[in-house]
Amino acid sequence: MRTLALAAAALGLALSALPAAAQETPPLPRVFWSFEGPFGTIDQAAAQRGYQVYKQVCSACHSMTQFHFRDLAGIGYTPEQIAAIAASVQVPGPPNAQGQSSPVPGKPADAFPSPFPTQAAAEAAFNGAVPPDQSLMANAFEGGPTYIYAILNGFRNPPPGITVPPGRYYNIYFPGNLIAMPPPLHDGAVTYADGTPATVPQMAHDVATFLYFVANPHADQRKRIGVHVVLFLVFVTGLTYALKRKVWSDVEH
Amino acid sequence: MASSSEAATANSEGHAAEGAERRDFLKMVTLATAAVGVCAVAWPFIDSMNPAKDTIAAGSPIDVDLSQVAPGQQIVVLWREKPILLVNRPAEALKTLQSSAMINRLRDPDSRVLQQPPYADNWHRSVKPEWAVLVGICTHLGCLPQYFPNPSANTPVADWPGGYLCPCHGSKYDLAGRVWQGVPAPFNLPVPPYNFLDARTVRIGENPPNVTYSLNDIVQI
Amino acid sequence: MAELGLQENEFKNPVVHWIDARLPVFTAMHKEYRQFPTPKNFNYFWNFGALATVNLAIMIITGIFLAMNYNPSTAGAFDSVERIMRDVNWGWMIRYLHVVGASLFFVTVYVHIFRGLYYGSYKKPREMIWMLGVVLLLLLMATAFMGYVLPWGQMSFWGATVITNLFGAIPVVGHGIVTWLWGGFAVANPTLNRFFSLHYLLPFIIVGFLVLHIMALHTVGSNNPLGIDVKGPQDTLPFHPYYTVKDSVGVCVYLIVFAILVFFIPHQPLLMDPNNSIQANPLQTPSDIVPEWYFLPFYAILRSVPNKLGGVVLLFGSIFVLFFLPWLDTSPVRSCRFRPIMRWLWVLFVIDVFVLGYVGANRPVGIFILLGRIATVWYYIHMLIFLPLVGKLERPLPLPESISKSVLGGGALPSAAAARPMEKA
Repeated sequence: MRTLALAAAALGLALSALPAAAQETPPLPRVFWSFEGPFGTIDQAAAQRGYQVYKQVCSACHSMTQFHFRDLAGIGYTPEQIAAIAASVQVPGPPNAQGQSSPVPGKPADAFPSPFPTQAAAEAAFNGAVPPDQSLMANAFEGGPTYIYAILNGFRNPPPGITVPPGRYYNIYFPGNLIAMPPPLHDGAVTYADGTPATVPQMAHDVATFLYFVANPHADQRKRIGVHVVLFLVFVTGLTYALKRKVWSDVEH
Repeated sequence: MASSSEAATANSEGHAAEGAERRDFLKMVTLATAAVGVCAVAWPFIDSMNPAKDTIAAGSPIDVDLSQVAPGQQIVVLWREKPILLVNRPAEALKTLQSSAMINRLRDPDSRVLQQPPYADNWHRSVKPEWAVLVGICTHLGCLPQYFPNPSANTPVADWPGGYLCPCHGSKYDLAGRVWQGVPAPFNLPVPPYNFLDARTVRIGENPPNVTYSLNDIVQI
Repeated sequence: MAELGLQENEFKNPVVHWIDARLPVFTAMHKEYRQFPTPKNFNYFWNFGALATVNLAIMIITGIFLAMNYNPSTAGAFDSVERIMRDVNWGWMIRYLHVVGASLFFVTVYVHIFRGLYYGSYKKPREMIWMLGVVLLLLLMATAFMGYVLPWGQMSFWGATVITNLFGAIPVVGHGIVTWLWGGFAVANPTLNRFFSLHYLLPFIIVGFLVLHIMALHTVGSNNPLGIDVKGPQDTLPFHPYYTVKDSVGVCVYLIVFAILVFFIPHQPLLMDPNNSIQANPLQTPSDIVPEWYFLPFYAILRSVPNKLGGVVLLFGSIFVLFFLPWLDTSPVRSCRFRPIMRWLWVLFVIDVFVLGYVGANRPVGIFILLGRIATVWYYIHMLIFLPLVGKLERPLPLPESISKSVLGGGALPSAAAARPMEKA
């Protein structure tokens, strides 16, 4: 009886894991990430390269308001490097006597600035299609960083018969295929500080790694602690179960 | 057969007693391990109430531009939610600080009580004599002392040499933040950690190189 | 010692004795959780009430610490959750504990309910325990719904919009009720603020009803897998140490599951809809509005009726019908172990709930429409037709003489015992 109930449960769970409805987009490619799995960690070198891509390409249009320069310590930057990086970016300064603020060099406590002073300015610049904030992008879509990688690699010429309206671009992985972002990457767009050749797949992989870190800054710590917690709990369970057997040893059951 | 059944009973009693001992030891170990687990889980919750990373970052040192502060003028900035008084002390004020008439009025003229960093342990309680950097929190009950720098026969009180008067209960300090005798406030105004980056910029919240000092070290804020 | 109205008690420790004489909490604990005669034949399905209680404690503690940093305004809510995740020390852990705890709360409660259905724990004399349990389920669902709105992500906002709009289906007063719930013209800042207040309040109402639920249980005593009454002390064990230690094992296993989810899989594919990582935008509806998994069966029932009011009635009806279970089921026998037909109908009912959940997870198109309707109809047929009819028509298996005899013998007794009259439920 119990096995039947368990079988029913398994069936139900298996069914609900199937995809919701047929999509016109192909299934996401299988991409390997250093941080996948229960023991995976974020590749800090890749994340630093990804930050370079983000700073030189993406930050021109995208904001990342939940992330601060001091958070870069999580991918291996030293306090001096962070202070230098922050100082190289212009952030909104305090208001002057007329109530206007002008840009000043950033400090580690500052958040990544938005390229536009207000939401209204952003909408005006992009005809309503405001580039989404990147702080949680790696968590905001099914597939996570794989989705980001696929989109960045997914720009194609439209197939015959499909007209792409102005302001849109054809991307095989974007639902509906018409994305408002022009292809941001081309080979050699960035010269990596560590000399890695900057192909589009490489840059896409690195920036997706960086974005995963931005969305999940505690991922490595979380998994490390998790190993300790689960091992401890397994140990306590063993002890408790042995105690239960001892306590119940004098009862027929 | 009786003897074997007696032996059997004795045996089972012995087993029961042994079992009880083993159960108690197991129980102790299990409870102790569980207690360790509970403490390990409790700590993150307690630590979550400590200042968060953004709060600490907001308390980072701030840089203040002193180029616009004229002699005799005071500006007030907030650092870690506390008012910091920055005063451009003219030469007459510095003379008053060293005069015996002033020193005789003070409770702790030599700054014996630890309310300042080692680099402010001098007659002007600062790095540079002409610049006062003080925490503007009266050591009595925490009000913001008011700045009356000019000597006067009657303002704000009779025979005023220049300094601070706290509006709440009348405590008085000189222009180096040293407290008078006969007022409710017990200690001199604290001096925060600070460092001159150049002639016109001071960084509040950071010591000069090779000095460790923080506001947590003083006797009372 | 009975002078002055002091309670007599036998505690040796003078401090404990003094307190108990004036406020007999120790006597109560001793009676209710030490001596309390509990059937000796519980299986591990009887752990789930205790697990739900542990879960409630975890939710309240993590919730209070989250509330120290949460900002319940539409302008600040999303950012305050991000601040908790990034800047508050251990904030990410407290938040994941709360998210995972919400899902596991429903796991324990649903298993607890399915256990009650299978073993007839709702039947006389336990009707009050059961009905208080249904109230607890409703309170839990309300708390979870409001809690999900608080992060103010896309799914928070649109889920709140869809579900509050349901009340508009009520004739005449519906629109007024919805406006009153919203505090405005749509789900907005007033709605979020009041949901935060109520989300903080309801768990303590749950604690109150939980106390009543347990009091009602301790009045009549627990059911057991055989569904037969306790005949005497030979059928029971004192709750402590037997069931305290057995519940502890269950709690430990439960915490392992909890920890694996919190530390290794807090996000996709099981928990935390990706859409909720996007801040609420009233001008953009997500392509799929889906509630969390624990509401999916009810969501499917709601969508199976093409009429708005009909869907709402069937949705709430599916829970209200549970109140009447003790009277809908006419069987003289409690436990499905001895009900050869109902035990299979119970399996089909469980499968039906899972099918409803699967339908709820998908868009209402194609095969899912028909499947949802069949599963909804089956749900109501089970409750309103099978339970009354099968109870009358079924021939139950012979019940064991007693719990202790059954434990010794290992099952139903031979034909001599079959001649005994059937135990009345």
